[in-house]
Order: sequence, then C-alpha cells, then structure tokens
Amino acid sequence: MSEPAVDELAQKAAFDRYVVPELEVLYRVARSITRNPTDAEDLVQDTMLRAYRAILRFDGRHPRAWLLTIMRNAQINRVRRKRPELLRDPDAAMERLADEDSQDLGPEALVVESEFDAAVEKAVGALPDKFREVVDLVDIQGLSYAEAAEIIGVPTGTIMSRLHRARTRIRKHLEASGAYVNGRPT
Amino acid sequence: MIRRARTRRHRPEVNCREVGKVLQSYLDDDVEPGFADKIAKHLEACRDCGLEVETYRRIKASLAAKLPEVDTAAIDRLRAFGEQLTSGDE
Ligand SMILES: [Zn+2]
Repeated sequence: MSEPAVDELAQKAAFDRYVVPELEVLYRVARSITRNPTDAEDLVQDTMLRAYRAILRFDGRHPRAWLLTIMRNAQINRVRRKRPELLRDPDAAMERLADEDSQDLGPEALVVESEFDAAVEKAVGALPDKFREVVDLVDIQGLSYAEAAEIIGVPTGTIMSRLHRARTRIRKHLEASGAYVNGRPT
Repeated sequence: MIRRARTRRHRPEVNCREVGKVLQSYLDDDVEPGFADKIAKHLEACRDCGLEVETYRRIKASLAAKLPEVDTAAIDRLRAFGEQLTSGDE
C-alpha cells in the first residue's frame, strides 16, 4: 500500500458514486453477454476491479457507458482466454443458444404467457446471436442505442440497423407462426 | 419528449413505402418531429400501416415486459465485493 490515503478515499468516493449504482445494470448486461450466471458475476467483478483502478482518471461523464466499455474489454479478454473459437463458431453459438433456452425455463418462465408473448419469446430465441443480443440489450434491458454500441463495440447506426432487422424477423416469425396476423390477435 | 415542441406545418403526405421504411425509428422516437407528425397522420388514415405499427408496438411492449428478475443475492455479493475492494485490501 504505497499510495497516500487521500487517494484511496477519493477512489472509494468515486467508486461509490459512479460504479455501485450501476451494479444491477452491469449484472444484467453481463448475464446477457455471458449467458451464464457464474460467468456474469465474474465478469462484473472483473469490471469493478478495472473500474476501481481507473476511476481517478474517469471524468465523471456517462458512467454507464464508461463501465460498459470496460466490461466489453474485460469480456474480450475473457473470451480470448477461455474459448477463442466461440465468437466465430456458429455451431458453438447455436449450442449456447440451446443451452440458454433450457436454462431459461425457470419457474417464472413456466407461468403461462399470452400466446402473443410466447410467440415473441420463441421468435427471439430463433434470432441469430448478433440480432438477439441487440434486442436483449435495447428492447429488453432498456439500454440506449449508444450504450448498446459501447458494450458490443460497434457504431450506433449498426445497433439500430440490427435492431430493426431483428424486429422485422420477429414480426415475420409471428406472422408465420399464425400467432398474430396484422391486427388480429391470435 | 423534447422533440415534440416544434411547430407543425402542413406538408404533403408520406406514402406507405416511406412510412414502412421509418416505422421502427418512428416507434423509437428517432425521427425528426415534423416528419413524425406526417407519419402520425398517415398512420391514422391508413389502415394497413396503422396495423403494422400496432404490431411493432406490441412486439416492443412484449419485449420490454420480459426483463427477468435479477438475482438479488448476486447483486448483494457484488456490493460486498465492492466494499472489500474499496476498503483497501485489493
Ligand atoms: Zn400506409
């Protein structure tokens, strides 16, 4: 412990101010990008650690976006370290998707949904990872386009176009499944 | 939202194709206010586009309602981790 105590106090104050209020959002996003509770918790801890070390250099603007950028970098390192093949391997991605589908059937999911909601859920499950990720972050988790852009590491316009294409697919899926055709519920 | 506070002017109508292209941006509140007014008018008048926008609205609402319960124990553990981190024994 070579740093003066005053720095540590400032560090703690900044951490409490900028990082702690975002923990829930960070955890939700981590759940979304890791698809696994244990990995998600690890990822948030990793992010917290990095944020803590960097916090005296943070200008205080857009803490969520700043944290999401840190989380993205942390996640890239983790993926490289643990499973370098995953990002470009569609089969692995599909497997992960299937895993998550079964994992999601917790007690809450067993509550009977309306047919429309169920069809939307199914349509989301059928989306390619890249699209589903954006739907999850923006339409489900409520991140802004800009925040989703930070965590995924693409321009805001890309987020928007993926989101729109994803919703169009969901809409077509609904139509095809007969759950909902233009204004006529079920 | 803030965007609504601008003046409305009477402008030529937009057609279905134009509306179709920006429907989602419109729902995300991401088109210019003047243009949004024109779209809104079209949606009122055109049954097909009206139903289409309604479908997307329902999809968005359905997705927004899916936000899963977050595991509060995990959040508590993360808070505790934060405490530990900032209390100096990194
Ligand atoms: Zn029309």
